[in-house]
Amino acid sequence: MGTVHARSMDPVPMHGRDLGIHPEDLEVVEAQQETKKEVLENKDIVVQHVSIEGLGRTKEDYLGYEIADVFNAKNLIDVMTKSHEARMKLLRLGIFKEVEVLIDISEGDDALPNGLDVTFEVTEMKRVTGSYNTMVGNNEGSMVLGIKLPNIFGRGEKLTFQFSYGTKETSYGLSFFKPQPGYFERNFALNLYKVTGQFPWSSLKETDRGVSTELNFPLWMTAHTLKWEGVWRELSCLARSASFAVREESGHTLKSALSHSMAIDTRNSAILPRKGALLRINQELAGYTGGDASFLKEDFELQLNKPFLWGSVLSASLWGGMIFPVGGQPISIADRFYLGGPTSVRGFGMYCIGPQSEGDYLGGDAYWAGGLHLYTPLPFRTSRGGFADLFRTHFFLNAGNLCNLNYGEGPQAHLQKLAECIRWSYGAGIILRLGNIARLELNYCIPMGVQSGDRICDGVQFGAGIRFL
Amino acid sequence: MSLAAEAFVSQIAAAEPWPENAILYQPLREDQILLSDCASSLAVQAYLRMLGLPVRVQCRANAEYMSPSGKVPFIHVGNQVVSELGPIVQFTRAKGHSLSDGLDDVQRAEMKAYMELVNNMLLTAELYIQWCDENTAAEITRPRYSSPYSWPLNHILAYQKQWEVRRKMSAIGWAGKTLEQVYEDVSQCCQALSQRLGTQPFFFNKQPTELDALVFGHLFTILTTRLTTDELSEKIKSYSNLLSFCRRIEQTYFESQDRDSQLGASDYSKGPSLM
Repeated sequence: MGTVHARSMDPVPMHGRDLGIHPEDLEVVEAQQETKKEVLENKDIVVQHVSIEGLGRTKEDYLGYEIADVFNAKNLIDVMTKSHEARMKLLRLGIFKEVEVLIDISEGDDALPNGLDVTFEVTEMKRVTGSYNTMVGNNEGSMVLGIKLPNIFGRGEKLTFQFSYGTKETSYGLSFFKPQPGYFERNFALNLYKVTGQFPWSSLKETDRGVSTELNFPLWMTAHTLKWEGVWRELSCLARSASFAVREESGHTLKSALSHSMAIDTRNSAILPRKGALLRINQELAGYTGGDASFLKEDFELQLNKPFLWGSVLSASLWGGMIFPVGGQPISIADRFYLGGPTSVRGFGMYCIGPQSEGDYLGGDAYWAGGLHLYTPLPFRTSRGGFADLFRTHFFLNAGNLCNLNYGEGPQAHLQKLAECIRWSYGAGIILRLGNIARLELNYCIPMGVQSGDRICDGVQFGAGIRFL
Repeated sequence: MSLAAEAFVSQIAAAEPWPENAILYQPLREDQILLSDCASSLAVQAYLRMLGLPVRVQCRANAEYMSPSGKVPFIHVGNQVVSELGPIVQFTRAKGHSLSDGLDDVQRAEMKAYMELVNNMLLTAELYIQWCDENTAAEITRPRYSSPYSWPLNHILAYQKQWEVRRKMSAIGWAGKTLEQVYEDVSQCCQALSQRLGTQPFFFNKQPTELDALVFGHLFTILTTRLTTDELSEKIKSYSNLLSFCRRIEQTYFESQDRDSQLGASDYSKGPSLM
């Protein structure tokens, strides 16, 4: 058996096992079989066979698209780069536990002297994986059961089911996911769910049972999502003391909405990015496809990050949104915008800005919020990396407004209304990054521009979330 | 809110006089309200009119869900929300308005017993006919109950409600009854009421009580509501003193009061008249 003599691996991105082959391993094999040693570096080669071993239920045609590019390799470095890319593509499908790459000299009758065979050795995920855990919260406990069936029909389809049985609420979600073969980013998802949310700032309890279908696809630099959602919503008061304005919203409604969202994300990380920008635009049209709720809702999110002096980062963000009723129907409390709290305008209570009735916040028709942040590494740290890298200190200036609009008036009047009575706050705090999905904040806030009815949080405020102003 | 806090709030509420802007909420009168809800709503309206407390009737499609107990009608007085006749009677008493203060203990116990009879017999029979008689349920009850909702929510909610009522019926042992047995129960209940009323103007002689309001609400609604058959109203029509009792209350508390105040049209929510 011939082996590949690989020297000068520098141009190839090497991350340990990622490539599946180690130069050291090759040296060992080579030592045993000196006779057929051949130097392939800088020589033209032909990839003759690419095969995948270890397939069970996965259909081979589904993987063809992912590994086809390996055939186009012209020299050894190319083969290694392209195999590495193919390996990453295979792993991204979420159907394999492990993928190893083996590159070997072609054998057999039709073997060319400069021919290579590439073999991907894969280990498929189990047919069914399950999990269960228990959660204990305020005066309630629940048991969560999850079942996942990856690659259920052999072409990357995934079925997940989650069921949560609690002392107060039961909720469930069933989702089916199917990617387009050879174009993983273009995928389709179907969801069936029941969720219950409690919103103490509005004394409101909402139970949603719904179906949604979703189409995701990238277009140039942007990621798009087209979605239809049909949801049966049941609103009720959280307590007997809820304000009458909230009580009036109680009952059942059906919302059928088409929505589209577009995102461009050039940031290097979703949480605490150093550079890059994010623009996300959502639009939702409810009522056109039936249901009781009818409105058009638009909102956007913009974030810019720039490296600044001594490893600090300057970040600016702007959010805004507006909801227009269609056909004179009043807009449900569940569809309106809310603002305030440690994840948006800091220094104010959670969603405690704007129109309210007897202490229950009713949300608004339009809002905007802006933030300026200076993120700096922790002071007095001795070395880069390690635990301290999860932390940042930041100084912030937030501002925003939330109000109801009189739709008879023109856009000029709307803008003027949004520019009146601006709430703003400033302060400083410490941020802890949790993985690459969430962050915790402990801030000292000084709220300004407080309007009557707003609930403030003067001083230390703690926040946790995945989306931050 | 804790019990103590709730008690405190109701104490404070008691000190406040009855406001002019009290509102009674019930389901939509034309398309939605069902016999049993209509009867309960009319009973509360009659009770408040007997006390001379002004209340404006508002129809809301989601009245059932707005109500703190999930039952209609409910009244919104000041910042208090009270549902159903029993708690409303207590609430008005806390404010110093009562119809049964003139009764002695024996009479009061008797009044409570008859009110229980009406609730257990008439109200349950109404619910049974509405939801357990498949003809009535399919032709009248489900279409009316679900009228404010769009497809497929209308079917879901109507069947959910029907299932709920039927479960309650089997819990109290009514599930096995036939329609004939239910009509017989209604007839017996009416006979008991007719005997107690005798030739008096009201159940306890000259003064109306909450029992009069409750009986009026149910009998009047049954008499004036069109169902798939007339059998239910025919049972009541055979008791002439109950019929004249209904006419008397209608004339005294609804027609004359409405004639007195020009607000009439908006307040008048009793539905068709007996005449």
